[in-house]
Amino acid sequence: MVTDIARFLPRAELNRLFEALAADGRRVIGPTVVDDAIVYDQLTSPADLPVGWTADSAPATYRLRATGRDRAFDYAVGVTSWKRFNHPPIVPLTRGRRDGDRVAVESVLPVAPRSAYLGVRACELAALTIQNRAMRAGPLGDADHAARDEAALVVAVECATAADTCFCTSMGTGPEVTGGADIVLSELDDGFVVRTSSESGARLVDGLDLQPAESPQTDRAAAQVAAVRESIGDPVPTEGLPERLRAALDHPRWAEVAERCLACANCTLVCPTCFCTSVSVASDLTGTEATTERAWDSCFSLGFGRVAGEANFRPRVRDRYRQWLTHKFSTWWDQFGSSGCVGCGRCIAWCPVGIDVREELLAIAPAGAPSGPIPWPPSPLAGRAPAPLAVVAPAEHVTVRVADLGAETADTVTLRLATTDPTLLAARPGQFVMVELPGFAVPPVSISRMRPTGLDLTIRSVGPATAALTSLAIGAELSLRGPLGRGWPIAAAFGRDVVIVAGGIGLAPLRPLIDAILADRPRFGAVRIYLGARSPRDRLFVPEMAALAGRADVEVAEIVDRAGPEWLGRVGIVTQLFDRAAWDGSRATAFMCGPERMMQASATTFERLGVRTDSTWLTLERNMACGVGTCGHCQLGPFFVCRDGPVFSLAELGTAFGREGL
Amino acid sequence: MPPEPRVESGRRSARSATSQRPRIGIVKFASCDGCQLTLLDLEDELLAISERVDLVEFAEATSRRSSGPFDVLFVEGSISTAEQAEEIARLRAVTARLITIGACATAGGIQAIRNWFDHDEIRAAIYPEPAFVESLAMARPVADFVAVDGELRGCPISPAQLREFLVALVSGRRPQLPDEAVCIECKRRGVVCVAVARGIACLGPVTRTGCGAICPAYGRGCYGCFGPRESANTVALAEWLSDGRSASDVGRLFSGFTAWSEPFRATIDAHGGPPGPRRQPPEPGDA
Repeated sequence: MVTDIARFLPRAELNRLFEALAADGRRVIGPTVVDDAIVYDQLTSPADLPVGWTADSAPATYRLRATGRDRAFDYAVGVTSWKRFNHPPIVPLTRGRRDGDRVAVESVLPVAPRSAYLGVRACELAALTIQNRAMRAGPLGDADHAARDEAALVVAVECATAADTCFCTSMGTGPEVTGGADIVLSELDDGFVVRTSSESGARLVDGLDLQPAESPQTDRAAAQVAAVRESIGDPVPTEGLPERLRAALDHPRWAEVAERCLACANCTLVCPTCFCTSVSVASDLTGTEATTERAWDSCFSLGFGRVAGEANFRPRVRDRYRQWLTHKFSTWWDQFGSSGCVGCGRCIAWCPVGIDVREELLAIAPAGAPSGPIPWPPSPLAGRAPAPLAVVAPAEHVTVRVADLGAETADTVTLRLATTDPTLLAARPGQFVMVELPGFAVPPVSISRMRPTGLDLTIRSVGPATAALTSLAIGAELSLRGPLGRGWPIAAAFGRDVVIVAGGIGLAPLRPLIDAILADRPRFGAVRIYLGARSPRDRLFVPEMAALAGRADVEVAEIVDRAGPEWLGRVGIVTQLFDRAAWDGSRATAFMCGPERMMQASATTFERLGVRTDSTWLTLERNMACGVGTCGHCQLGPFFVCRDGPVFSLAELGTAFGREGL
Repeated sequence: MPPEPRVESGRRSARSATSQRPRIGIVKFASCDGCQLTLLDLEDELLAISERVDLVEFAEATSRRSSGPFDVLFVEGSISTAEQAEEIARLRAVTARLITIGACATAGGIQAIRNWFDHDEIRAAIYPEPAFVESLAMARPVADFVAVDGELRGCPISPAQLREFLVALVSGRRPQLPDEAVCIECKRRGVVCVAVARGIACLGPVTRTGCGAICPAYGRGCYGCFGPRESANTVALAEWLSDGRSASDVGRLFSGFTAWSEPFRATIDAHGGPPGPRRQPPEPGDA
């Protein structure tokens, strides 16, 4: 909380604050005029501040204007947001080396210069907190972001003016600064009312040895921020907005706004909370040294929704606009316990065609619009912030060796990897690892068997990275990060019948589940396994499945889409194996993995057989790039698949499962 | 005009038994040579590149010549004459992977603006003896004639993208050539948007990234030399730009190095075609 003790810093002595920050070993980042705009950049003295300038913003317009006054903070928000410094546009992630069979990958350790952020507005303080929470909400958190955040001292400046694009009042983030900063300034004509909000802020201000502020000064400060609140009003009714948006997924306005939207991504890049990134690979010409880095990306780009096999979850711009708006104002609550919007208005000003998010919200989810039926149940996180992670450590990369390998099909290979790493050995069925060969993209791969001395990965060659992985020889090394994600809830099936449905390569993540069930066989009722494949030649783990079929306590049925001359079994789709089954679905827990269409068909059949939706579990493949919920690629409605899944129950997913464009 | 017959891709490796290095050629058609010179701009890495690939045809750099076969052939320039159309078909047949480089090869280039006009009239407007000029009625991208396996956009292409392509080639991975808007690169660089802050017409939102957002970084609007991005909503951008501009001025903005690419081409058509001599009889008083 901001203390009540207010002091006064005469305008002519502002340089003393700069000197104190420098003496504290900090570079000062603050507002300055560059290229006809007020941006945040490194400052050397008060002379760098935008004294005498303000900016008028409106949809698609931003113009600098001279005020004729000598105030330094006489504008609303800068063009840049503070995420440029807390969450820079490009951050190196790993350095890797591949020399013959030898592989080594290490995290690039964060370098976080001691900084002071000068001129942070109330809405921007909220944004720093919101983004901090997002970057620490995963199982590991983001070490680079955490280091930068911790190295920054925040000097807030309460707003004395508002832009036409401001709506912090609606989002409950400003204009008053109520906490979250170290030092809080209110600018008056003759100087600054100074308050503090943290120990380090208080220590720094004590060193300035300032006179107490007089009550006319604090009154003027209070009056000017009250006038700002008055001038903004309450343009967006937010009460119940997350629910109203969730119920408006099929609103015709999404298609209409998509006709105007350029999908250029500017709104997301100027947004102070948007945190999505993409990972890219760079290597030298010899292929020995390689690096990965992440760069700002956006859900508005076609490539952001792309997954293996050239499929795309959000091919249409209307899907992308809906993704952005519903995430910002609705599913952000599910994920992080707050709104993702702070009302700074940058997305309105910097949209090149002037799309105003306030207008779109009023059109799509106005007050009084229905807030149901809701497409998915509220997530367990809804309405509460996740506990911040105490320690955020750089990701661990473990080099493992191919101890053995076997071809499963023409394009699929199982690598038996040897490791003594205790974290990897503690993997649970249904979890995955990020697999890195320096110089190649880093795919997520489900673990297909846990062993006391390592683990198996079954990989299908679908692109250059998986082609390189499937052509490794015995003795070759690769680097793993993990295990990641939530696995199969095996205990949920104790005392119940088990139904397992696998399509093609989908059998791989189910195999550790089958292993675990067989290892503890008496705890389960009947075990039925239904296997589908494109053709007889595409079946996985053939001898193993044949051995299972020979057991009295397991039922195995197989079917293929297209038969060959050697195939005497059934031909068709996998649901044909159980759509006339006589077993009692209410006693069964189902686990499935395969193409999304196969899982949808199976889900329908299960429902008819009486399997409860909270007893039907599936694992989703998505474009998972970071593995810990901080890159945004794998978002599905209220979930990040890598962090909250990849295993979900049908009940958790609701109609998010299989919904077009999510 | 009916499309020329397409020649099927000759997908086979040309690597000789003695060398594991891919045989690479660089050829040009109607163009300025700027794109192929980009390879020479990779100064620091030229030596390493030449150790990893066998550069068998590159008239700008070596007197060694080859008519094929090629593992990878970089093709610069648009197809503008009947002779070029024959030659590209021949090259396709001896090339495993044909990669077009630059706005001319990928989009037709600036010379494709002639495609909107009467061929004889425009030849007569430029050459004193048009009868000696043997050109096709249109300057068109290579992909209109033969199958193309990949492309590097830009006028000229980006050295960074060429390097990435070569590294990916020798490493056996897919080159990372993003297809989204220039705006993303602009914002990563911290360039203040020239459209919003200064009212400058900028094609960045509809143009493919890869250049490094050079023009906006120097206070200019993007003029689209990398051609249309994925999901290029030129209709909405043109409508927005029409505020305070005439239709022909809006059409002119799209009439640059990649004018012949859809949807830039349709946008130009919707705004009365590119500036220049009209096919209609000239207005009285016009020169």
